[in-house]
Amino acid sequence: MWIGIWLAVIGLLLGVVLGLNIPVILPQIYAKYMGLAILAALDSVIGGIRAMQEEKFDNTIFLSGFFVNALLAAGLAFVGEKLAVDLYLAAVVAFGVRLFQNLATIRRYIFGKK
Amino acid sequence: MKSKVKVSVIIITFFMGLLLALQVRVVQYNASPLPYSRAQELTKELNQLEEECKLLRAEARDLKAKLTQAQKGYAQAESALKSELEKVKTQAGLNPVTGPGVKVVLKNIPLGDNEEYRSLFSVRDEDILKVVNELRAAGAEAISINGQRLMPTSEIRLAGSFINVNLVRILPPYEILAFGNPETMANALSIAGGLVEYLQDWGVQVTVEKMQELTVPAYSGNLEFKYAVPVKEGE
Repeated sequence: MWIGIWLAVIGLLLGVVLGLNIPVILPQIYAKYMGLAILAALDSVIGGIRAMQEEKFDNTIFLSGFFVNALLAAGLAFVGEKLAVDLYLAAVVAFGVRLFQNLATIRRYIFGKK
Repeated sequence: MKSKVKVSVIIITFFMGLLLALQVRVVQYNASPLPYSRAQELTKELNQLEEECKLLRAEARDLKAKLTQAQKGYAQAESALKSELEKVKTQAGLNPVTGPGVKVVLKNIPLGDNEEYRSLFSVRDEDILKVVNELRAAGAEAISINGQRLMPTSEIRLAGSFINVNLVRILPPYEILAFGNPETMANALSIAGGLVEYLQDWGVQVTVEKMQELTVPAYSGNLEFKYAVPVKEGE
């Protein structure tokens, strides 16, 4: 478990350092999609942690969920933009709600196991 | 923990960090209320509009100047037209006029009540016509008979036992006012063997007076052409 946390911290740091030093800046128009992708990714990560605690963790589902969710969320928002429908909001609400639900479940596990 | 899971945790946290950092940078970079490209676009548009505004202002100035000129021209044209109208009206006899001229008075000699003599020796319409004709030949510019302005359409005609001028009955003594050179006109009338002598021979009392100041009223009747239509140029 502790090794996993350390690995997570190392990966995060690496990513942040690289991200801050990449000489490319995405145009503002894509910031929306990017944010949505981050939200989806975060949802996947939290979902993964929850699955770990429930001991149902599946590496394939975790990995694919991370990328597919992020891409799907961004794509859906893009399609919504083209159709003049705020699908963006739907994605935000859906991921946000699940995020908080998973967080609540994790909290329960942590305090319940004590 | 399986090594596979470790690898995926590394990968995912790495991507998370990358995405987060990128997003934070984007949000910070574009902290201004407008996206960069949009701001650039708007600046360009603003420049264009300013240019256009300048052009339009210049055009407005130009048009304003033209307008003032046109107004000036209009005023000039109007005053020219007015003076022309005034001139034509004066020439046509629609304005009262004043100036030097002669006063010719034709009077019947007192003949008592003899009806035959009266009709024989009274002033006739032909006498007045002759006087008018002579005055015009001597350069009279405006003529009136007992206050009736002579117009291009005026008649001098015996109607019963009276003379009509402008369809108005006039009574003796007949006072003919004519504008023009007083000397010329007076001489034309009073020349030896001229009209005055002739009329006096016919028993009419004629007096010719040179006047420095005469006033003749305007024609007061209706002047409307029913049949004559002006010919347009080029037709």
